[in-house]
Amino acid sequence: MIYFMVPRKIQWVILLAASCFFYLCSGVKIIFFLLFSTATTFLAALMLGRLSADQKLKMNQLSSDEKKLVNELFKKKKRLVVVAALLLNFGLLFILKYYGFVAESLQAALSMVTDSFSIPQIGILLPLGISFYIFQSTGYVIDVYRGKYEPDKNPFKFALFVWFFPQIVQGPIGRHDKLAHQLYSPHRFDADKMKYGLQLILWGYFKKLVIADRAAVVVNQIFGNYTDYSGAIIFFGVFMYSIQIYCDFSGGIDIARGIAQGSGIELAENFRRPYFATSLSDFWRRWHITLGSWMRDYLFYPISLSKPFVKLGRKARKRFPGRTGKILPTSIATFIVFFVIGLWHGGNWKYVFFGLYNGVIITFSLIYEPTYQRICDRLHINRESKSWYAFRILRTLAIVTVGRYFTRGNDLVTALLMIKRTILYFGTGSMTAATISTFGLSNSDWAVLIVSVMVMIAAGVLEERGGNVRVELEKRKPILQIAVIVIAIIVLTAFGIFREGYIASEFIYRQF
Amino acid sequence: MDKILQILSELRPDVDFTKVDNLVEDEVIDSFDLVALVGELCDAFDVEIGVEDLVPENFNSVQSIWNLIQVIQEGR
Repeated sequence: MIYFMVPRKIQWVILLAASCFFYLCSGVKIIFFLLFSTATTFLAALMLGRLSADQKLKMNQLSSDEKKLVNELFKKKKRLVVVAALLLNFGLLFILKYYGFVAESLQAALSMVTDSFSIPQIGILLPLGISFYIFQSTGYVIDVYRGKYEPDKNPFKFALFVWFFPQIVQGPIGRHDKLAHQLYSPHRFDADKMKYGLQLILWGYFKKLVIADRAAVVVNQIFGNYTDYSGAIIFFGVFMYSIQIYCDFSGGIDIARGIAQGSGIELAENFRRPYFATSLSDFWRRWHITLGSWMRDYLFYPISLSKPFVKLGRKARKRFPGRTGKILPTSIATFIVFFVIGLWHGGNWKYVFFGLYNGVIITFSLIYEPTYQRICDRLHINRESKSWYAFRILRTLAIVTVGRYFTRGNDLVTALLMIKRTILYFGTGSMTAATISTFGLSNSDWAVLIVSVMVMIAAGVLEERGGNVRVELEKRKPILQIAVIVIAIIVLTAFGIFREGYIASEFIYRQF
Repeated sequence: MDKILQILSELRPDVDFTKVDNLVEDEVIDSFDLVALVGELCDAFDVEIGVEDLVPENFNSVQSIWNLIQVIQEGR
C-alpha cells in the first residue's frame, strides 16, 4: 500500500528498500555475496557498454580494412570483461556451493593412494537465493555483451533488478529486458491487478500449505523408512514427492508472482502444467521454465554454435548423412546441459546422476525418434488418438517420477537402493489400511489431500484445453468472485496455516 | 528463399512452412531444430550465424531467416 501512496517517481525506491529489508532480515553476513554479485555484474556491463560506444566512435573514422582489425580488438576486450565477470560470479558460486563436494570427492580419490594429504574444508552456509540471483545477473551481463540492450546506468535501479524481494528466494530468474523497465516505471493502483495478485497468492498458498505440506508427511515417512515398505509403496512415496515438489515450488512461484502482480509487475512464468507433458523434453519446457531458458540461451546455444561443435556438426553430417549426422552435436550439447542442470541443484553425486538420467533419456529419444515412429506404425498405433495422448502423459510422469528417486533420496547410494527395492520387492506388500496408517496422515487429511489434488488437476485440464480459471471466474457475478476468495481463505486457514501439529515448511527450492 | 524452405522442410517434414509464421514463439520449431537449422544454413549459404543472432525475431518465418542471411552476407 505504501508503494501506491508515495510519489510515483520514487516507487522503485520503496521496492528497493523493501527488498533490502527482506534480505537483511534473513541475515546480515550473507548480504556481502549479494552485493558482490550486483557490483561485479553492474560494473562489467557498464564497461561493456563503454567499449561498445568507443568501438562505434572509432569505426566512423576508419577504412574498411582497419575496421576489421579494430573490431577484433574490441571483441577481445569485451570477451575479457564478460569472462572476468562470469569467473568472479560462478567462482563464488562454486566455492559456496560445490567446494565441499569437490573437496570430499577428491579426498575420497586421494585416500586410495595416500592418507597423508588432507584437503581443507570450509564451512559457509549457502546464502539465500544465490543460484537465482547469480544466474539472473550473469544473464544480464551476457545480454549486454551480445548487444541485446544497453547497460543500466543507475546502480541502485540495477540493484532492484537483482534484489527484487518476491523473486530472490527461488526465482523466477528474470530477464532484464522483460523485468527491469517494469520495476523502474511508475504504477497506478489497479484494483483488477490487485485482485489477480491476491487470487494467485491464495492459489500458491493452497498448493503449498494444503497439498505440499500434507504430501510431505507421507514422503518423509516413506523415504525415511523405505526398508519397511514394498517396492510399490516406495514408488507411491516417490510419486507423492512429485506432487509435493510441484506444489511446493510452483506454489512459491505463484505467491511471488502474485505479490509482484499486485504492484503491477509481471514476473516470468515458471511452470506450464508440467505433469501434462507428453515427453521428457516437453516436461523440461514446462518445468522451471526460467532455468531451462537460461540454460538454452546461455549454455546450449553457445556450446552448439561454438567452433568445435560447428566443425563436429559438419563432419557428422558428412560421415552420417541423414538424421544422425544432423542431431549428433545437438545431442552432445543436450547431454552437457543436463549434466549442468543436475549440478545446479547442488554439489552431490545424486544430482549428477539426476542430470545424466535426464540427459540420457532425452538424447536417446532424439536419436531414436524415427525408430519409435516405425514401431508405432507397425503396431498400428493411432498417434492422434486420445488414448495415445493419455499414455504419453502417464509415461512421461513415470519417467519424471523415477528421476525423483535421485533428487529426494538422501544420497546416490540410498536412491539406487530404493530403486533396487522398488524393482525386486514391488509386490511384496499391499496398500492396506494398516500400511496407510503408518504414513502419518489421518483419514480427514487424506480426504483433504485427494480433493485438493483433484481440484488442481481439474484446473490443469481446463487450462490445457485453452481455458483459464481466472477468466472463467471473471465471467461470474462479483458476489460469486468474492465468495470464491472468501472460501479460499477459509480453506487455507482451516486446512493450511493454523492446522494443529503442522509447521509451514520452508520452500524446498530455496536451498538451491 | 526456396533453399531455406527446402532445408526447413527436410528438418521438419510435418510442417508446411509456407503457411506458418511465428515459428519460434509458437514453438513450431524448438531449440534442437533451431541449432540443426543454423548448421544447415551456415553450410548452404556459407555464412556464420552467431549465438547473438538466435533471437525469435530472426527465425520466426522464412522471410525473417532470409533477411538475417542477407544482413550477414552484406557484412552487417
